[in-house]
Formats: sequence, C-alpha cells, structure tokens
Amino acid sequence: MSTVAEGTSAPSRKRTKWDEEDHENEAIRRRQQALSRQLRSLRKPRMTDVTSVPKGTSLSRSPIRDAYSIFVPPRAHHPPIQPSRSVYCYERLNQIEEGSYGVVFRARDKETGDIVALKKLKLEEEKHGFPITALREINALMSCRHENVVHIREVVVGDTLTQVFVVMDFIEHDLKTLLTLMPAPFLQSEIKTLMLQLLSAVAHCHANWILHRDLKTSNLLMNNRGTIKVADFGLARRYGDPIGVGGLTQLVVTLWYRAPEILLGATNYSTAVDMWSVGCIFAELLLKEPLFQAKGEIELLSMIFKLLGPPTSATWPDYCTLPLAKTIAISPPHAHQFRQRFPHMTALGLDLLTSLLTYDPQQRISAEEALHHPYFSESPLPKHPDLFASFPSAAAGEKRKKPFDSPSAPLRAADRIFAETELP
Amino acid sequence: MTPTLVPLATHSQIARTPSGEDGLPQELEEDLRAFGCKLIHQAGILLNQKQVAVATAQILFQRFWFVTSLKQFSIGDISMGALYLASKLEECPIRMRDLINVYDLLLQRNSHELSLHSSPPPSSPSHRPQPTHVPGHNLVMASPAAPAPSPSNGKTKFKYTPMAYFSDAFYNLKDALVVAEMQILKRLGFNMLVVLPYGTLINYLRLLGLTNHKEACGKAWGYLNDALQTPVYTIYAVPTIVSAAILLATRHLGISLPSTPPNSWWDLFDASWEDVWTVCGHIMRLYRDRTLEERLEVMRMVNKKEVRKWLEENNSL
Ligand SMILES: Nc1ncnc2c1ncn2[C@@H]1O[C@H](COP(=O)(O)OP(=O)(O)OP(=O)(O)O)[C@@H](O)[C@H]1O
Ligand SMILES: [Mg+2]
Repeated sequence: MSTVAEGTSAPSRKRTKWDEEDHENEAIRRRQQALSRQLRSLRKPRMTDVTSVPKGTSLSRSPIRDAYSIFVPPRAHHPPIQPSRSVYCYERLNQIEEGSYGVVFRARDKETGDIVALKKLKLEEEKHGFPITALREINALMSCRHENVVHIREVVVGDTLTQVFVVMDFIEHDLKTLLTLMPAPFLQSEIKTLMLQLLSAVAHCHANWILHRDLKTSNLLMNNRGTIKVADFGLARRYGDPIGVGGLTQLVVTLWYRAPEILLGATNYSTAVDMWSVGCIFAELLLKEPLFQAKGEIELLSMIFKLLGPPTSATWPDYCTLPLAKTIAISPPHAHQFRQRFPHMTALGLDLLTSLLTYDPQQRISAEEALHHPYFSESPLPKHPDLFASFPSAAAGEKRKKPFDSPSAPLRAADRIFAETELP
Repeated sequence: MTPTLVPLATHSQIARTPSGEDGLPQELEEDLRAFGCKLIHQAGILLNQKQVAVATAQILFQRFWFVTSLKQFSIGDISMGALYLASKLEECPIRMRDLINVYDLLLQRNSHELSLHSSPPPSSPSHRPQPTHVPGHNLVMASPAAPAPSPSNGKTKFKYTPMAYFSDAFYNLKDALVVAEMQILKRLGFNMLVVLPYGTLINYLRLLGLTNHKEACGKAWGYLNDALQTPVYTIYAVPTIVSAAILLATRHLGISLPSTPPNSWWDLFDASWEDVWTVCGHIMRLYRDRTLEERLEVMRMVNKKEVRKWLEENNSL
C-alpha cells in the first residue's frame, strides 16, 4: 500500500501517518509463521495477578539480542536526554553569510577542535513564544539524518533567551557559488553523482514526512569529497498532518524554483513541489545558470509555459480547479522546447528532466522513482565522489583563485575539473 | 528506512532523578509527574486540542524531570509550557491567551478543592497512608479561610472567576509560559522527537489477529493512554510499551496468546519480557488507591514552593 512497496507513480498522493508502521511488517512477516503455528496449538498463558507487578524501573540489560530486527534498534542506540550546551563551547571564526533567516558563522569546537557552522536563529519576534518555523527547522534536521543532509550536531544557547544556534558540520562550498566560479559546467558523470545524492536526500526527507520547500543551488552544500549536503530547512514542514484552516502557505520556495501549482495558488501541495525544484536544479547543473531567471510570478509562468508548452487537459487535468487558473492567459498550444534548450542531452537524460518538470503534480516523478531512472545507468556512469576536484572554499574565507588564472600556474588537483573537457 | 530514534533516559538518569537527589521519594515524584500529565490532559480537553499534541506534551513533560528537579520548576508551569510547545510541534498551535485562561481555571479549581480540605499542614511525611485518617471528613471546616460548605452536598461549588484581560495574573502566567517553553527546549537539548504508539498498536493487534476483538482493542488503547501519565515513553521504545498494553488488555480479558519461549508473542515485537513487565508495573501503579491526604499533598505541590517546603519539612528529620 505504500508507494515504495508498489513502486507506483503517485508522488503527491496523500499518504496518511498510519501507513508508516507498515515497514515493520516486512521484518515481522518472517516470524509471523512461527507465531501462527503457535496460535493454533494454543496453551492457556499463565494468568498473572496484576496487582503483583514489579516495583520501580528495571531495564533489561541483555546486551546481545542478535535475533532482533533492525526495526527495533537496541536501547543504547537511542540518544540520551541531554540539555543544550553553551555557545561558549565554540570559538567564533568568521561570519559566512547573513541569510534571510539567520546569520551563519564558522566556528571551532573548543574541546575537539572540529570546525563547525553555527546558524544563529532569529528569535526577536517573541509574541508567540519560540517560533514555530525555528522548531520546524530543528526538527526537520533532527528527523532527517542522512549522508546527504547536512549533519546537525547539537543546538546550543547563548546568555539570553533569544540566542539559539544550530551547530552543523561545516561544509566548504555551496553549489550556487561553485557553479558561478567554474569556467565549465559539471561533467555528465558528475551531474549524475550529484543528482543521485540530491535525490536520495529528498527521498529520505519525504519518507520521513518532511517537505523541504526551499530546494535551490544555494541551499545545497558540497564538501571537498564530492558529497552534496542538503541544507537550510528553514521552510521545511511536516506533511501528512491534517492541514489547518487556509491550507499550506504559498510563500515558500524561492521564486525561480517554485512549482507551477504553487504559482497558481494551490494550498494542498505535497512532495511534488520539491521534485519540481529538483528539476530546476538538474537543469541548472546542465546549463551552469538558473533555468528560469524570472523577475516575477507572471514572467516565471510564461517562461514555464514556453519551455513545457502551455498546459492542456491531458498534461494537467486539475489545472482549471486551481485558484488562479482563470486569471492566467494561456498562449496558443505549442510543443515543448526541451530539445532546443538542452541540445546535448541524451534521450534518457531529457526524459528524467521532463519527468521532473511535469505540470501535473500527480504525474511528476517521485524522488524514489527518479533514483531508479535509467539515465543513471547509461554511459557515462556516475563518477565516484572521490574523483571530484576540490575547490578553495569561499565560506572558509580562503583566497580563491580567479577563474582564469595565469596559464603558467601549476595545474593543481583542484583544477582538474576545469581541464577536463566534456564530450556531448 | 530506519525508525526515528527518540531520546531515552539513561540508566543513571533513571536510577537517580534530579528530584530524587533532592530528597523526594520516588513514589511522590511519580505521583507529581502523573498529576502534571493529568493537567495536560484536562487542558487538552478544555481546549479541544488533538490527542497527538496532548500525548506529545506529556512525553516532553516526563522527559523534563530526568534533567530537572521538581524543586526548581513548578509542575503547573512546565505542563502548560509542554502543551504549548507540543501544539506547535504537531502543527496545531494554540493561542497563548486560551491556554493561559484554561490553566488559570484548572489551577483555581485545584486551589478551591484544596481549600475545602485545608487543615493544619501535616508535620510528618504524609505520603504514606495514615491509618487514623478518615477520608473526606472533618477537614472541610478546619481553616477559617475555607468557604462554608453548601448545605446540599457538604461542599462549596467551584465558581471560576475569569482573569481581567490585562491583569497581573495574566501577565504572570504568560511570563511563566514563555520561560517554561524555553526551559523545556533548552533542557531537552532541542531534541523534540517523539514517536506515538497508536500506529504500532493497530499494527500489532492486526498481527495478533485481535482487530475484531473490540474490547481488547479498546482496553489496549486505554492502557497506552494511561501510560502517558507515567515515564515509560521516556524509558522504553514504543514496541515494548505497546506490548505491555496488549499484555494487560489480554490478561484482563482472559485472551490466550502464545507465551512460551521461544515463541512468546512479545518476542515477535522485539520486546523483552522483563521490560514489558516493568512497563505493566508503571501503568498498574497509577491505579493504586491513594488516600485523600496523599491526593491533597500532590495537588498542593503543583507549585514548586510547596515542593521546597515539603523537602525542608521532611528531610531535616
Ligand atoms: N553547514 C554549513 N557549512 C557551511 N556553510 C553553511 C552551512 N550552513 C549554511 N551555510 C552557508 O550559509 C548560507 C545561509 O545558510 P541557510 O541557507 O541555512 O540560511 P538562511 O538564512 O535560511 O538562508 P536563505 O534564507 O538566504 O536561504 C548558506 O547558503 C551557506 O552559504
Ligand atoms: Mg539558504
């Protein structure tokens, strides 16, 4: 019944939270046979006097429970209940960037010497206590731990109630800066690796009931080992919860990466909005510049219509039911222009791109499905992350080489990526 | 997909709670914590709040006392803060003013009941049953401050006086609420992950072929909710707690399930008998009869000042 089990394509189908428990079935099924055999030869269990229950708390300390499933990890794997440490456990190095939502610093853990990123949450507005958006950000990071999601180490506090910092692993680059600095686009093999990492992070978030809602290249961090880390869960939200009065807000996702259903006023959108953003990121990796650089929502819609061809009742059956559909003038029908825009792309690559940039959220490909798209198994195969070049980190305040440095400069390992040429 | 791993109290946190270190007996601490959970439950009903938010609040509330002594913060304030926070976490936020009004009512009612029974403060530890005590008698008029009983039922009817819109009482509660929410966050290290047991219960009942047994389902569901008044959700993983609820329900109804090793049904859910049985103990202790004096003592100690007073009076001995 879960989309994963069936492998069906209904990415935005409303899952309900009750579905979740079914993953346990998988492990239980094996032992269920033994149980049903037992059930048939029932013995009366010893009836215990419920008043003679034990006093106090004793934990079974059985260290080895080898027969136990991976779905119930041993108690020791759970984190302890632990108060926040003080921000003074860290030494502040340099400010990385002031985002719209908080300030990010580079810092050093005084105990371990580890270099970390500290994101100071903006808490001034205290009319409603601790802001729900900050809670969502912290909760999303904590419940979506994954190799390709930026690792949250802890949350530390300053002297006053308004000083709260999220401590993350420090990641050297963000993909946006990287793309603007590179003289040549990523290779196909590298793009495949990056897309697989992005998709597996997004699939993981969606499986954990989290919508990111702000996927874009500046929120994708990349370390020197060719690994992408999805960051900035400042707009993240749980889905599958009953949506309150008024539905979900449309004030999400940076304009260029915003899905058409949000642009047209949908308030019950789901995981598919992230998949549209993934499509925009895929295109940006190929083009080395953002796909839809629109100044406003109307211009963005017309750029989308131009590339995809205007929506029809076949490509987007629910289009007419969207709140703003009536107010938009649709241009006369024409075919999509993906081929013109991406002339060097293989047929499979184009198929993945159009599956992501699909009008109808119901038909748009899910992250789980996209991970298995044949594009990733055709030549050239995804490049091993270790073979990625490394770059000087802007965030770490390192001196960056000008993109076109003197030709006599020695060709560092870091520059290999610039030297390789791409075959169409 | 690996399940979300919620924080659980460590062995040493369980063995030595901060309140215990301050000299509060374990049974009294358990009762106080249960009382805070009852307040959350009642406030949830009055606010028409979703059960998921109430349950989450109760679990956060229980976690808090593994890192904080009851002498330091009041049950009233922390339970209010937990419900406020949990409502945001569960995407059904409540208005501060609504919550404060409801808590004001609950606390006024609490004081009213106390005043009906007010007597000279006991000088000996009264948490243990006192054989000379006659519940509900002779205590009512002991204090001149207590309102006169009405002739019909021997008790004064509780009449709630709402706070004035800009009253000090309101702002005091509001400050307490903001502080409580932040203290919960800080002391729990901002790890607010909670896994609720209901989905797992449905799944297990299905696997045990009990879904059509309405009474068993209802009873198990009830035990799970009652368990929210105990610390078990902060000590054990959900499969153990759900197994305990099923165990209590099936034993109560005389339903037989395979219980002989190596094919005991709880093994199917990766729960150890010892743990399941301990959880049953926690739940069953909720139903132990309390004397009136025990109950009043807990109601008084909704405020940390009374906890401190109790500790001074009982630990100097
Ligand atoms: N873990 C990290 N390591 C290194 N740099 C980071 C890290 N986290 C964030 N940054 C840098 O700080 C910038 C802002 O961080 P983030 O996106 O989380 O904040 P924000 O305020 O929500 O930003 P915005 O709203 O502008 O997207 C990122 O674009 C990145 O350059
Ligand atoms: Mg950002």
